[in-house]
Amino acid sequence: MSNRKRLLFWGLPLFWGMCLFLATLGLPWLEELFRQIAPGHRQVIYSRDSFALLLGNHLLLVGLAALISISLGLASAVFVTRPYGRDFLPLVTQVASMGQTFPPVAVLALAVPLLGFGALPTIMALSLYGLLPIVRNTLVGIHSIDPALLESARGMGMSPLQVLWQVEMPLAANIIIGGIRTSVTINIATAAIGSTIGATTLGDPVISGLVNGNTAYVLQGAILIGLLAVTADSCLDRLQQWVSPRMDSRT
Amino acid sequence: MIELQQVTKRFGNTLAADAIDLRINQGEFCVLVGTSGCGKSTTLRMINRLIPHSSGLLTIEGQEISQLDEQQLRRRIGYAIQSTGLFPHWPVARNISLVPRLLGWSEARVTERVEELLELLNLPYAEFAHKYPSELSGGQAQRVGVARALAGDPDILLMDEPFGALDPITRETLQNELLRIQRKIHKTLVFVTHDMDEALKLASQIVVMDQGKIIQQASPAELLLNPANDFVAQLLGGEDRGLKQAGLLRVAERMLPLPGPNSLDQAPAIQLHDSLRQALSIMLWHQCQQLRVYEGDSLVGYLPLDRIIRADSHV
Ligand SMILES: Nc1ncnc2c1ncn2[C@@H]1O[C@H](COP(=O)(O)OP(=O)(O)OP(=O)(O)O)[C@@H](O)[C@H]1O
Ligand SMILES: [Mg+2]
Repeated sequence: MSNRKRLLFWGLPLFWGMCLFLATLGLPWLEELFRQIAPGHRQVIYSRDSFALLLGNHLLLVGLAALISISLGLASAVFVTRPYGRDFLPLVTQVASMGQTFPPVAVLALAVPLLGFGALPTIMALSLYGLLPIVRNTLVGIHSIDPALLESARGMGMSPLQVLWQVEMPLAANIIIGGIRTSVTINIATAAIGSTIGATTLGDPVISGLVNGNTAYVLQGAILIGLLAVTADSCLDRLQQWVSPRMDSRT
Repeated sequence: MIELQQVTKRFGNTLAADAIDLRINQGEFCVLVGTSGCGKSTTLRMINRLIPHSSGLLTIEGQEISQLDEQQLRRRIGYAIQSTGLFPHWPVARNISLVPRLLGWSEARVTERVEELLELLNLPYAEFAHKYPSELSGGQAQRVGVARALAGDPDILLMDEPFGALDPITRETLQNELLRIQRKIHKTLVFVTHDMDEALKLASQIVVMDQGKIIQQASPAELLLNPANDFVAQLLGGEDRGLKQAGLLRVAERMLPLPGPNSLDQAPAIQLHDSLRQALSIMLWHQCQQLRVYEGDSLVGYLPLDRIIRADSHV
């Protein structure tokens, strides 16, 4: 890929990333604007923590949770599609699809009595919830591969690991990254609710604004969460295209 | 040599292979035929252990295959299937080089081998090496499938209906190419088809199967002459058997030397290596009773109708 093409390809994520960056640093400068939105309040820019810190913390929570759910999700989906793990396939499939019908807020609400308050239960809840789309998509991706392909891969004398890395993973990559994308995007939104159980996230201004009736705070949190979600989503969208193997020789 | 002794495969209650006894010698072209579900593919897949046999002895060069390393065994055995199983995310050259790479050949040797095989299968390297499977026609994909099966220079080649999904003309071209390749490189071939004409054309040995059992094992000519029972006769096309037999005999075997009768000048032409079936068809079409026989461009003899019908007939 030429430099120009590469820039075009990553252009959209870059654009959203810039917006997010500017908003994080620049929101306090729009004090006059927010005063119009929340006229009755003495303070209209959330300042308990800097937006940069909130964003960093939010990203850390979502990132850690994603790391856990990606490794666990991939591992369990790969396990149940191997001959020795096939017995667990129905169980895992059912849990994965049932989990999808569960609202994310409920996951957090359930995490508190089990794990207490703070960042840790938030990460646990996020990674559990984020696990499901990854498991589901990895299963779909692997099952969508033509069985004749796998048969001929084995018939040619590829080892099980070679079949997994050279055939199954590349051919399922697109769908798997799609699952990761869903998982991360949902969790960026869900993580904000973590503020209600004591994690520091971009949800803080939103919650605080809701409690005090300060619409300006709510808006500031919402803008940053929204921008973070689109940035992550467009990054993963490009990653999805980038890892999908080419299947024709046209450039 | 591949040898199956009382080899049985059970899937739950179905006996997919029922006490199979089969011996396939080095260099033999063995074709398994039979109706759908009779156990042809199962028998084939047991040879490279894609399906483990339930009981019996299955040996290659005297070694029981269940004792061998599964992957090493498969790398020594070429395998081609009807749906080709080509990897869609790899270009043609990479697909063909799979087994040589698994065998750890040097990069130079791998490239040389790929070029050699593409040429053997009439696929110009420059045009095809970098194409992806989705960019090939059905016949081209089958050729690549055969090239991939041959790539590791295996002694044994297993083919499961490799030409099943092709149009008759492409199919015949590929059959001829396979025969040409087989004459050139002399592999042991085990080939599955349910097309009897394909079997008669390709095989040195035909194995007729029904419900997991071997019903008859014979050369094409012998099979046509003495089908073991009605089922085999039916499979051979019933009343069409005579034509199928004529399809196996060459004009060269029956033609008479020149000079022929004076009326020969008007007779249609046929080639020396064509079959008697073709000769008969030409006669029916032109409503005549003799043909001029050519080898290339030169007239070498003539063929009267009586000689097609009876080998011992003298005009
Ligand atoms: N993996 C399997 N599990 C259960 N039964 C199987 C399996 N593979 C094959 N069978 C059964 O074994 C029998 C023989 O199947 P096989 O595939 O060998 O038939 P075939 O002769 O190749 O048929 P076709 O011409 O349709 O390909 C069939 O009854 C089939 O249903
Ligand atoms: Mg079959």
